[in-house]
Amino acid sequence: MSDASKIVAAITVLAAAAAAPAAWAATAKDVLVIGKSADPQTLDPGVTVDNNDWTVTYPAYQRLVRYKTENGKGLTSVEGDLATKWTVSADNLAWDFTLKPGNSFADGTPVDAAAVKFSFDRLFALKQGPSEAFPDGTVVTVVNPTTVHFQLKTPFAPFLYTLANNGAAIVNPKVMEHQKDGDQAQGWLSGHTAGSGPYQLTSWEKGQSIVLEPNPKFAGPKPPFSKVITKIVAEASARRLQLEGGDLDIAEDLPGDQLDALKKAGNGITVSEYPSLKVTYLYLNNKRPPLDKPEVRRAIVAAIDDGAIIDGILLGKGKPMGGPIPEGMWGYDASIKPAAHDPAAAKALLKSAGAEKIKLSFVMSNKDPNWEPIALATQSNLAEVGATVSIENIANATFRERLGKGDFDIAIGNWSPDFSDPYMFMNYWFDSGKQGLSGNRSFYSNPKVDELVRKAAVESNQAERTKLYQEAQKITVADAAYVYLFQKNSQVALRSDVKGFVFNPMLEQIYNVDEMSKSK
Amino acid sequence: MSFLNVIRRRLGFLFLVVVGVSLITFAISHMIPGDPARLIAGERASDQIVAHIRETLRLDRPLWEQYAHYVRDLLHGDLGTSIRTGRPVSGDITAFFPATIELVVAALLFAIAVGVPLGVMSAVWRDRPIDHLVRTIAVTGISTPAFWLGLLVILCFYGRLHWLPGGGRIDQMVAPPPLITGFYLVDALLAGDGVAFASALRHLILPALTLGFVHVGVVARQIRSAMLDQLNEDYVRTARAGGLSRLRVVLGHALPNALIPSVTVLGLAFGDLLYGAVLTETVFAWPGMGSYVVASIQSLDFPAVMGFTIVVSFAYVFVNLSVDLIYLALDPRITDIG
Repeated sequence: MSDASKIVAAITVLAAAAAAPAAWAATAKDVLVIGKSADPQTLDPGVTVDNNDWTVTYPAYQRLVRYKTENGKGLTSVEGDLATKWTVSADNLAWDFTLKPGNSFADGTPVDAAAVKFSFDRLFALKQGPSEAFPDGTVVTVVNPTTVHFQLKTPFAPFLYTLANNGAAIVNPKVMEHQKDGDQAQGWLSGHTAGSGPYQLTSWEKGQSIVLEPNPKFAGPKPPFSKVITKIVAEASARRLQLEGGDLDIAEDLPGDQLDALKKAGNGITVSEYPSLKVTYLYLNNKRPPLDKPEVRRAIVAAIDDGAIIDGILLGKGKPMGGPIPEGMWGYDASIKPAAHDPAAAKALLKSAGAEKIKLSFVMSNKDPNWEPIALATQSNLAEVGATVSIENIANATFRERLGKGDFDIAIGNWSPDFSDPYMFMNYWFDSGKQGLSGNRSFYSNPKVDELVRKAAVESNQAERTKLYQEAQKITVADAAYVYLFQKNSQVALRSDVKGFVFNPMLEQIYNVDEMSKSK
Repeated sequence: MSFLNVIRRRLGFLFLVVVGVSLITFAISHMIPGDPARLIAGERASDQIVAHIRETLRLDRPLWEQYAHYVRDLLHGDLGTSIRTGRPVSGDITAFFPATIELVVAALLFAIAVGVPLGVMSAVWRDRPIDHLVRTIAVTGISTPAFWLGLLVILCFYGRLHWLPGGGRIDQMVAPPPLITGFYLVDALLAGDGVAFASALRHLILPALTLGFVHVGVVARQIRSAMLDQLNEDYVRTARAGGLSRLRVVLGHALPNALIPSVTVLGLAFGDLLYGAVLTETVFAWPGMGSYVVASIQSLDFPAVMGFTIVVSFAYVFVNLSVDLIYLALDPRITDIG
């Protein structure tokens, strides 16, 4: 063979390989493929604070309690998962959980009280983001193999709800075999799972795909999928095409116009819309003149045309808010109506405060594509009432730094609760002790509100707590601490043969993969 | 002898490059306002938690001490632990870098395979229709955003024609070949895994063409101008006068001489492709270092950013060295390069 014919032969072989019949079919019936925009960062439940990681971790672990599902609807109330029942002392400080027998980790190690203790001790020792949800100084002890005791230092009403968090995952104590330099096996768990949930991680090609397979020792019903694959497809248009092409069963994080197009086209794709607890709001710097005057803040609330923002920017996929607690979370007060768009009233308020012709900064980053149009809308709304807004679009890390320091007049943010308790809104946003990045980003301070929300945080009676929170809500709405823009609808695009998906507003980007299936 | 000289000198130079690069990257990543500890802890974390993380990551120490630690680990071959992922940076590099290099090499080969013939034809038939066509292709290539082109080819070859996969490096139901070099094509061949090879190749085609397309124009233009210079040389006229066929003169005499200056351009193109790969990787869900580095920068994950910068500068130095060695091999008149 001459050199030339060798080359021709090689090219022919390569071309034949490339043209080999494409696996052009929908994914197999027993495989679920989820398309995600970014690779998870770490899979250590004691470290991750990102829902994007929880897609993988949540089904790999179990927790003492889980969110209830009723008639195909995900609720914010909880029921036992690993725990079969629990008791709480009258002073709300001592909690005893009885574990269901028969649960074990993927390697066969039983899930007992010692494992629960280990998991929480580890969480508190790591002292990273997820530990924030749990009260300081909590001590966990083993009463007997099926009973575990939590002793709180101060009463913390939302405690039970925090146990459904991703961070409250029960981890196999055997992970300590992988501990390196006292890292609590953090290095190992960042890329592996060690739980008792229905699935476990079997492979992770970084930046490419993550494969979950059934946990052979899972005590519950056998999960329907032999593989749950998460594929990383960074570009939204590419994700949409792969969903349409049948290479994905679920595509996350598609922009509104793409979802509308998918909805219209139909062809085998269902776009479902669910009310969420994800709130977008404006921080008004209560510490900094002229926004230290409530009249000026009220004027801004009246000047902003919330309805136009929802229709124009969210394409109607959101709900206006009256108060801080969104609809769907207990404690929500339907009697507080969303503020009316009233430029005349806004002008009058500014005049009475002697704050005509004010200049304000609007600080933002590009973290959320909706923020920029919202900033522009705010700018034009406020121009109508004589206030000049200069928009500063800065890098997200710098943005957060400035939020923390209170170096802004107006800023924008999104918020979603970590646990299903109005505490996530009322205490974080208004307690003067949480000023700054940790929650109270308007730097709001009102002793009466402090008293109400702190009382609600330790009170055990839910009806009483609702009353306290509703009273505090009325005050804070009158004080116009923030501008509540909307709670955004969550949209999920799935192929129509995927059945049984339950959306839970507490579990964004988390799929009930142990209950879903694909129709034949 | 001269080969060894060049290699020895460049290796000494490499040390300086690494020190310089690590110092500059370290300085820049610490000048950017923002706190990586806050980013891992989450926005809502209390100050105590953030302080605790800063302490664990040694971010509370003076800058010079952090740098000294970094360099000491680096000398032991340890690139540190990523702040964002909690994994060793070297592991992440092993996972992402070969994918990028595989894509870049494929794109470069495509650019050469198409660009060189186009450039030659364009020079030989100067100002004829083929020349205009080639120049149009070159201008189109250079001015087409890879991002847009990528989406277009996905839409066409995946969305409409169903010929090729729409993204990723290998079919999700095909196991990647065992890791040897990190290049799927090579590893699949080494493992004798035809299925993985075919799947990897099919996945490579569209991104490599997209990324390479820009450089088809660059290569064609470079070859064209170098060829035009050569074709006007006396030796070409002499060879033609001596009775050699036109084809033989063009391919056998003029082209090899035109390639010498083009090697430098190809070396530079390699660097361009490395950073151009970021966008292509995003569109094609190609698990390369592009999206990893972008995410690391956004999280102020300086060990990851520095690790990659150092590895990339190694690659640059290596490519430059190769360019010089190729020069030596191609042009016997050159005996040493500074």
